[in-house]
Amino acid sequence: MKSNVYSKSNSPNIFRKFLHWIRVTHAHIHLFLILLCGITIAPYLWALSTSLKHRVDVFTKTPQWIPNPLRLANYSEVFEMAPFGLYLINTMVVVTVILAFQLLTMTTAAYAFARLEFRGSNILFMFFIIQMMLPVHATILPNYLIVNKLGILNTRLALMMPFFATGYGTFLLRQTFRQIPKDFEDAAIIDGCSGLRFLYSVLIPMGKPTLVAQGLISVVTHWNDFFWPLVVSDSPNIRTLTIGLAMFVQQESGADWTLLMAATIFVTAPLMITFLIFQRKFIESFMSAVLKG
Amino acid sequence: MNRKRLLSVLLIVVLSLSLASGAFAKGLVRITYYFPVGLAGPLATVMNEYVDEFNALHAEEIEVVPVYSGDYDPTMQKVQTAVQGGNPPDVFIVEISELPTLLAMDAIIPLNEFADEEYLADFFPAFLENSYTADGQFWGVPFQRSTPVFYWNKDHFREVGLDPDVPPTTWDEVAEFAQKLVVRDENNEVERWGVTISGGWNDWIFQGFARQNSSQLIDFVTKSITINSPEALEALEFWVHLTQELKVAPPHSTWSSTPPDFVAGRTSMLYHSTGVLTFMKESAGFDFGVGFMPANTTYGAEVGGGNLHIGKGIPRENQEAAWKLIEFLTTPEMAARWSRASGYVSTRVSSYDLPEMVAHTTEHPEYLVARNQLDYASGKMMTPIFQRVREIVKTALDEATAGKITPKAALDRAQDQTERLLRDWLD
Amino acid sequence: MRSVAIRKIRPYLYLVPSLVFLAIFTYFPILYSLYLSFFKQNILHPQPVFAGLANYVDVFDEKLFFTVVKNTFFYAVTSIPVTMGLALVLAIFLNEKLGWVRNIYRVVAFYPTMIPMAAAGMLAVWLFNPGIGLVNFYLKKFFGVSTIEWLYDMKWALPAIVITSIWKNFGYFMLIYLAGLQNISGELYESADLEGCGFLQRLRYITLPLLRPTTMFVIIVGLISSFQVFDLVYTMTQGGPADSSNVIVYYIYQYAFRFWNIGHASALTVLFVSALLIFIVFLVRTVERRVHYEV
Repeated sequence: MKSNVYSKSNSPNIFRKFLHWIRVTHAHIHLFLILLCGITIAPYLWALSTSLKHRVDVFTKTPQWIPNPLRLANYSEVFEMAPFGLYLINTMVVVTVILAFQLLTMTTAAYAFARLEFRGSNILFMFFIIQMMLPVHATILPNYLIVNKLGILNTRLALMMPFFATGYGTFLLRQTFRQIPKDFEDAAIIDGCSGLRFLYSVLIPMGKPTLVAQGLISVVTHWNDFFWPLVVSDSPNIRTLTIGLAMFVQQESGADWTLLMAATIFVTAPLMITFLIFQRKFIESFMSAVLKG
Repeated sequence: MNRKRLLSVLLIVVLSLSLASGAFAKGLVRITYYFPVGLAGPLATVMNEYVDEFNALHAEEIEVVPVYSGDYDPTMQKVQTAVQGGNPPDVFIVEISELPTLLAMDAIIPLNEFADEEYLADFFPAFLENSYTADGQFWGVPFQRSTPVFYWNKDHFREVGLDPDVPPTTWDEVAEFAQKLVVRDENNEVERWGVTISGGWNDWIFQGFARQNSSQLIDFVTKSITINSPEALEALEFWVHLTQELKVAPPHSTWSSTPPDFVAGRTSMLYHSTGVLTFMKESAGFDFGVGFMPANTTYGAEVGGGNLHIGKGIPRENQEAAWKLIEFLTTPEMAARWSRASGYVSTRVSSYDLPEMVAHTTEHPEYLVARNQLDYASGKMMTPIFQRVREIVKTALDEATAGKITPKAALDRAQDQTERLLRDWLD
Repeated sequence: MRSVAIRKIRPYLYLVPSLVFLAIFTYFPILYSLYLSFFKQNILHPQPVFAGLANYVDVFDEKLFFTVVKNTFFYAVTSIPVTMGLALVLAIFLNEKLGWVRNIYRVVAFYPTMIPMAAAGMLAVWLFNPGIGLVNFYLKKFFGVSTIEWLYDMKWALPAIVITSIWKNFGYFMLIYLAGLQNISGELYESADLEGCGFLQRLRYITLPLLRPTTMFVIIVGLISSFQVFDLVYTMTQGGPADSSNVIVYYIYQYAFRFWNIGHASALTVLFVSALLIFIVFLVRTVERRVHYEV
């Protein structure tokens, strides 16, 4: 079952009959998706509803989905508690720069791992994956020492630098680049296109859906980083949204629920918008675009 | 395709942004102040205001940089990392039982030379207990402090025919009232608990129960560990009585979800920190009372919260500036202001005589409960590796209230584990 | 001759940008942990003293260690299949032409990933509150399930964390699958349509086989990240009640920062990373052999 993936000869008869028997239609799919999404979205709607409530209406024995009376002031209170506008800009700078560096480091590394043969490639690949295995708390002190040595403590660079290389993204991209048929490379080489040119003019355009996915994941991950930014930053001028958000969770009294929910809605909103814009990229089939071009 | 240019532009942007973050003024002492926020409310904003006032008073001389550092645990982590990274903060607040860890890390300086007798005499003695080591050294100034108290739902009391203004005052009454207050549905499932002893920090509340039985679990100064004393055992047996025999209290809970339980009427009585009083007042749509934790042989409680410390290995002038900040933050006036803003107990005895505090407590006498209970309170238990000891005690309590192990076996095991863990310290 | 030499070192040059940062921020911490793991340093003995392998012996001396390992495996074994399965099914469905609502489905599936952990954890604490949480309320209302004590109960605390993590993570893996699906040539589907293949047949003969590289990635990343579970435990239960939801990385955190036992925490870290590495190498070796990359 290699290249002729949909030759039916080697499939058992019963399975084929089974496939004929249950015909999945779009109606079924919609039904399933509505059920699943209904469950998934409930916490968000609940957070949204809570963010619009008065404190006395929050905890009730039966859930009140529609806030009555409505209280928009929770949002303005959130903004009074910390410079969230500034935090938003800081966060955007941090995630953008991290992503820019990651795109550079991971595409080249993934290219090497996926398409080139060299000694020690398997071992070196493991040295990339090991990044994912190290518990975050084991990195905090040594990385703090380094950032301090570099003299960049309490700067944006300190917030970003440890994430410039990504074993995760390299791995994901390597898988994608490997999927691209060898024929393309041969054709490209004949056209005199090899090495980095091949990477940038063939592999990257063809792997765009994965790059977009990895981009989104990277942005979301670093948008929500908490411990590291907390430890290396002191100044509100460089601090990020999650540190502001943490002000609404308290060990001794639990949480400031209405404000916490309002802050959560606010902190996730830009991500949602980004996602809505970029998920369209999945719709276009880049593969066929390249095939035609 | 101009990747190189894009990259260099990016680098420049990054570097300039990062350099722009610290403005340096000359000729003044700049100190860093880490503070956690442990309670709901705009406390970070309030703290920034206090620091601004202090900086205005000491313009040209001292500049304090206030740094919100997360909750108690992240704050401790930030302090630890900074200290081990050779960059200790000048002043900081951490949870009071972290003192032995700070000492082991050589992270703080003793404050005896700064704090004179007269200054200390005005602090509530129970709040000072977590500041001293056996050699008489004084290490931290009480700042944001609390004790557990007892909350009860007056509507529920009325409903079952109890006097809404008379809370239980003894353990026996707690059990008796809880049996009246508990509500079960037709399947015998609990709809409303009679009483809830909040989990998560239940070791802290348990220490209060030991005190209410005229005992204690751990004494830091005399190095005595009596977790399995007969008095403590009786206290745990009482917990098991409530949870397993009468089934009027949930065997476990989490610290952050029991105040909502109380506010939603899911439990009629609650043991929790005085720190949630403001949350309760704003969130509860019914009448509730706040009182002492009920007594067995005596009333008893223990303190909690955070102390102010000065970092070690910083220049002398920074230490002096740090002390000025501490003094400023702990004057009776400031203690009263902080108490009103946050709901913490004011640490200074005389602050309760200040006119604005008198007005405040006359209008809201419930804020006096925790202060009055201090007469029966002790310091919070602490030992080296206290967080480990805490886990040991919590596991013992949790397994006993779940009915998995007898109270005696649970406490004996905890005693044994603690003694083994601390044998080098106890010797 | 020269060009051969260049061709030989070229692949390594492509790795250099990553390796520089990995060396500083990953390999240094690992070596640092390795170094510290040979010293006794804790609250009772603050000055580091060389102790050989004593810290490693101590790790296995504590019964709790085995509980924590067991809990972590429980978490991995229960959360991974459900998360992966949901992600795959959803990605396949959301790759169908379903009209404009598809965008909504996608956002809904992915948004839990965007919620900061602290907020997600607190929200989950509330939703799983036995008395006033939505979970029990609707379980009772729709299925007549009697009250489950969730985070209040030693048996249910970890399952509640597993459920929360599935909710939080499946959208993330869905996104990766969705990208993987986009890398499959549309022409294959077109010819399948010509042959009159239905949805399930296309799935069986085109989609699943060609998704194998992605699946391998998802499985490996899913495994690693589920062994790394920390935030939800930290925000929801702090490992309780009675360590019933304590997991390896939380346990390492406790030793490193709460108990300030540097040697012990470092030994744990080294053991954890080594075990995971061996496991993953083994897995990659076996799985890679079965994945065909070229179409």
